[in-house]
Amino acid sequence: MNNTKPWVEKYRPKSIRNMALPSAKIKRHKVDLAEELRKFIINFFKEKQNLNEKNIPIKLHNRTHGKKEQKKKLSLASEKSAVLLEGPPGVGKTSIVYALANDLDMDVIETNASDVRTKNALQSKLSETIKSKSIMDYISKSKKKLILIDEVDGIYGASDRGAVPTILSLIEDTQFPIIMCSNEYKQNLQSLYNKVSKYEISPLSNEEMMKVLKSILKNENITGFKDDDLILLIEKNHGDLRGLINDLQGITQGQFDKKNLELIGDLHRDSTEEIFGLIQDLFLKVSSLKEAKILTSKSDVDYNFLYKWVNENLPTFIKMKPALSNAYENLSIADEIFGRIQKNQYWSLLPYFFDLFAGGVALTRKKSSHQGFHRVSFPRYSTTGYFSLTASEQSLAEKIKEKYDISEVEIIQNFLPFIRMLCNYSRKQLKNVSDWLELDASEKKILKKD
Amino acid sequence: MILNIPIWRIKYLPNSLDEFCGREKLKAKLRSILDQGNFPHMLFVGTEGIGKTTLARLFAKEFLGPNYEINFRLVYADVPLNSEERKRARSEAYIPTSKIGSLAGKTVRTPAFLQIKIKPFVQLRALGSVPFKLLAVKNFESLGSDQQGFRRLMESYGSNCRMILITQNISGIIDPIISRCQIFMIAPPKYESFKELIKKISNKESLVLEEQVIKNLYRITKGKLAQAIDILQLCSLSNATIDNENLYETTMNFTNDLIHSLLLMCLRGDFLKARELSRKIQSIYKYRVPELFLLLFRDLGKIPLSDFTFSSIMNIIADADFRAIDGRDSDIQISNLISKLCYFSEFL
Repeated sequence: MNNTKPWVEKYRPKSIRNMALPSAKIKRHKVDLAEELRKFIINFFKEKQNLNEKNIPIKLHNRTHGKKEQKKKLSLASEKSAVLLEGPPGVGKTSIVYALANDLDMDVIETNASDVRTKNALQSKLSETIKSKSIMDYISKSKKKLILIDEVDGIYGASDRGAVPTILSLIEDTQFPIIMCSNEYKQNLQSLYNKVSKYEISPLSNEEMMKVLKSILKNENITGFKDDDLILLIEKNHGDLRGLINDLQGITQGQFDKKNLELIGDLHRDSTEEIFGLIQDLFLKVSSLKEAKILTSKSDVDYNFLYKWVNENLPTFIKMKPALSNAYENLSIADEIFGRIQKNQYWSLLPYFFDLFAGGVALTRKKSSHQGFHRVSFPRYSTTGYFSLTASEQSLAEKIKEKYDISEVEIIQNFLPFIRMLCNYSRKQLKNVSDWLELDASEKKILKKD
Repeated sequence: MILNIPIWRIKYLPNSLDEFCGREKLKAKLRSILDQGNFPHMLFVGTEGIGKTTLARLFAKEFLGPNYEINFRLVYADVPLNSEERKRARSEAYIPTSKIGSLAGKTVRTPAFLQIKIKPFVQLRALGSVPFKLLAVKNFESLGSDQQGFRRLMESYGSNCRMILITQNISGIIDPIISRCQIFMIAPPKYESFKELIKKISNKESLVLEEQVIKNLYRITKGKLAQAIDILQLCSLSNATIDNENLYETTMNFTNDLIHSLLLMCLRGDFLKARELSRKIQSIYKYRVPELFLLLFRDLGKIPLSDFTFSSIMNIIADADFRAIDGRDSDIQISNLISKLCYFSEFL
């Protein structure tokens, strides 16, 4: 059975003792994560017990008195009931919770972003276990529970209605400690961040990951990997231990005779240096459509992004006007195809897109033009397609609208150029206008801009 | 306390239908409508800048009297919704499953513009002693297919709220809407009324103007009052006496020179600089791509070219514009146009 289990699960640590712990910070202070979590859990139960005892007379009072004389039950502060672990994927957040639970002899109840998290679904799954004790608890001393809410940043407005307020209310009433995990800061969870303590987890160092890899290889009786190969693997994963172990399993299982280095070279995880090289190769080395296709399909870079790079760098590589015109003809047809694909979902047209934006562009370049050094630059310009104003433009437009009712479009396109000409004539004019509109410094700057 | 407004085009806005410049016949018609007190939906058609929106506002003021603020709203159909409004539209479109009926749990697909900007106003009853509210929608043709949603609104809420639709070209409006409205074609003011207004302004601001200059101003701006007043103000900055030279110089600076220099740069063959400039224009004026192509095309007419050159360039711009309709990245499409023009410039 063991050889069918994915290594990520097989080697998930069962105790804190033999786990490579990631480093954690709370409010920029470094802390020992395992210790903090352990303290949090033990504290929770202590304080909860206290609170429950204090609540007993209140409950009695409430039962015997009418609605208007109800006293409020005491509840534990939310920082003491729940904790948030925030860190990049694959770094050990879920593993540490399971390992800790194992050490403290607790059960883990897990829910994660793949479950539908409407208020009702969340409540039905968790509330019974959180608020009450099951009948088994009375019959035999069952284990205490630890609630794990994984991938909390998967909460999103429409499909997870009311998830954040639900979680907050569950935190208030919970009988068991709650640990939440998330990958990154999300704006719509701000109300959650304000109420719980947040630990920021950073990935393991390269040496620690090397140790883990070596111990796995030893356990699986696999030899033949040099340290350099492993370093290559580690660097390509950027701190993601889970991805690293997956890569390792992918290489070693299956064709074992193939040269290890080649296999590692085939595994790409995104990097920006790659795009620079790709663009250089595309324009300077490619000599057939087939080569261009291989070049673009080998990279993991999102084609959405890649064709903007081609647009930005075309004129540096192709300078002759006929070739430039042809290249842009192909690129603009590619863009049109892409637009039609998006609008009408004609995904079968995608191959034409690939051929056109890579090969179609690169091959218009005549080989005779000078090789030399060409500087590849980032796509600096991205069009949102929306008419959007910066913050100071927005506030300026609002102040204008108070005195003169026209639309933002007219302001930007007609009115503002006129006012600029007026204000640039003399300081007195600028003062008149900005006093009348009551502008502040940043808005004045827009008027002065040439 | 009279607030000294530094911008003339705002200072000299008409405050009542009588003060509105020119177009006596139109004013008489509107006054007779006001006397009757009842009218169908209205459609104002005319070129840009001649006073359609101002007219709608003044008409509403006279009709609604003291209840003007509450019962009148002017909505701009070409300004896109900002992100909060879009979010609201999306969240309101979802009908929760707790409601009873066949629509529960579904997403209602009303166009967001109608839902956020029009419906809340139109559905409430008029306040005060007015028989109905007034809603003015400016640049109605930019709604495109959302106009269909409007048809039903006009019928069902017509007794509560009359609409004044304002547009520049009537061909952009679908027939069902036209049939529901009374059409008013609005022309620019005649020279006499224009002259009167300009003379009034020059008296108040102590300017010296010859008749010839006013004639030229009228010819250049084609009767667009706001633009004419702007030019007048800019001229007056350097000199209280305005002569033809002054006028022409200001007009050259005033009209959109960035587009002109972009066109010239393309025809000179400088690709990189032209692309930089096009990006700068986009960030300052925030044109949508079809507008940019149209402006370039219009500007083309100002350059002296042979017929052959003119028609070839026109073809190039038209092809690029057509390509850009479905294109996703506007920078690529504009770069395409620039590269074609640069290539063409080799033949000039």
